[in-house]
Amino acid sequence: MNGIHDMGGMQDMGPIRYEKNAPVFHAPWEGRSFVLNLAASAWGRWNIDARRYQIELIPPADYLRMSYYERWTERLVELLVKTGLVTREEIESGKPAPGSPKTPPPLTAEKVRVFSSERNARRDVPVHPRFTVGHRVRARNMNPTGHTRLPRYARGKLGTVHLDHGVYVFPDTNAHFLGEKPQHVYSVRFAARELWGDQAAPQDSVYVDMWDDYLEPA
Amino acid sequence: MVVVENTPKVHNLVVCTLCSCYPWSVLGLPPVWYKSAPYRSRAVIEPRGVLREFGLELPDDVEVRVWDSTAELRYLVLPERPAGTENLTEEELAALVTRDAMIGVAKVVPPQPEGKT
Repeated sequence: MNGIHDMGGMQDMGPIRYEKNAPVFHAPWEGRSFVLNLAASAWGRWNIDARRYQIELIPPADYLRMSYYERWTERLVELLVKTGLVTREEIESGKPAPGSPKTPPPLTAEKVRVFSSERNARRDVPVHPRFTVGHRVRARNMNPTGHTRLPRYARGKLGTVHLDHGVYVFPDTNAHFLGEKPQHVYSVRFAARELWGDQAAPQDSVYVDMWDDYLEPA
Repeated sequence: MVVVENTPKVHNLVVCTLCSCYPWSVLGLPPVWYKSAPYRSRAVIEPRGVLREFGLELPDDVEVRVWDSTAELRYLVLPERPAGTENLTEEELAALVTRDAMIGVAKVVPPQPEGKT
């Protein structure tokens, strides 16, 4: 979806606000929202791509107005309701509906480990890579209304395959529970001038991780 | 994890334009500015201007490589070893390295001489 989340290359978003000695969380509710998101994901009702897509569904004006953890909280509520883990009424009241079933939580303290999306999304299956290092490629010009990790600024642009990272779950289908469609992910180098024109320095570049389906031979 | 090395001729910068991907397992959770619209939007189109905002002016002959973490790979910058640190131990060198240097928005600064501020 051509949403506000896909903001690479936009301008006039204001200065970068650097905070010295910033705390990890700026209020206790932020930490709570963070761990609730991870703990609720352990139910297995959604995957990381569906989680990202749910944030992308926040309307652009709201997305920009909300803080990072406000978005996380909004996303969690929507996913919990959508998958039937809680009802909208329960969220509003803050209390479980009378007679609602109780099940033990899938995530317990001893199961918590360092989160690794890299490990979780990698698939050890033989898939033929359509491209090899050094190949000239063009990022497809596509504008899906669902989830994609192909940023707008790279679409239609020419690049060179720099690395083959191996085989990973494809977010465009996985986010919508349409299968993992495992395929190669490449690091593709785009010259900054190919992306931005003459205003960019001639030697600069942007490396974008691209799934096989995002690319065509150039 | 992919580690990209800074040299006198190459400067690397890590961003996630689509959300907030960051090497949690090594650097912890990202700072607010890393997840903010100003950084995510401009790091790819205007990396030199972004670095200038962080107080880092790069010479024209340095090549800037921006890494947009669009997949599940995570990127870490291996900072350039500062001049005058030849006699430092591994521990002393490690103490100089900052989070910002490993994102690529800062260089590692050599230790300041005693008594100087």
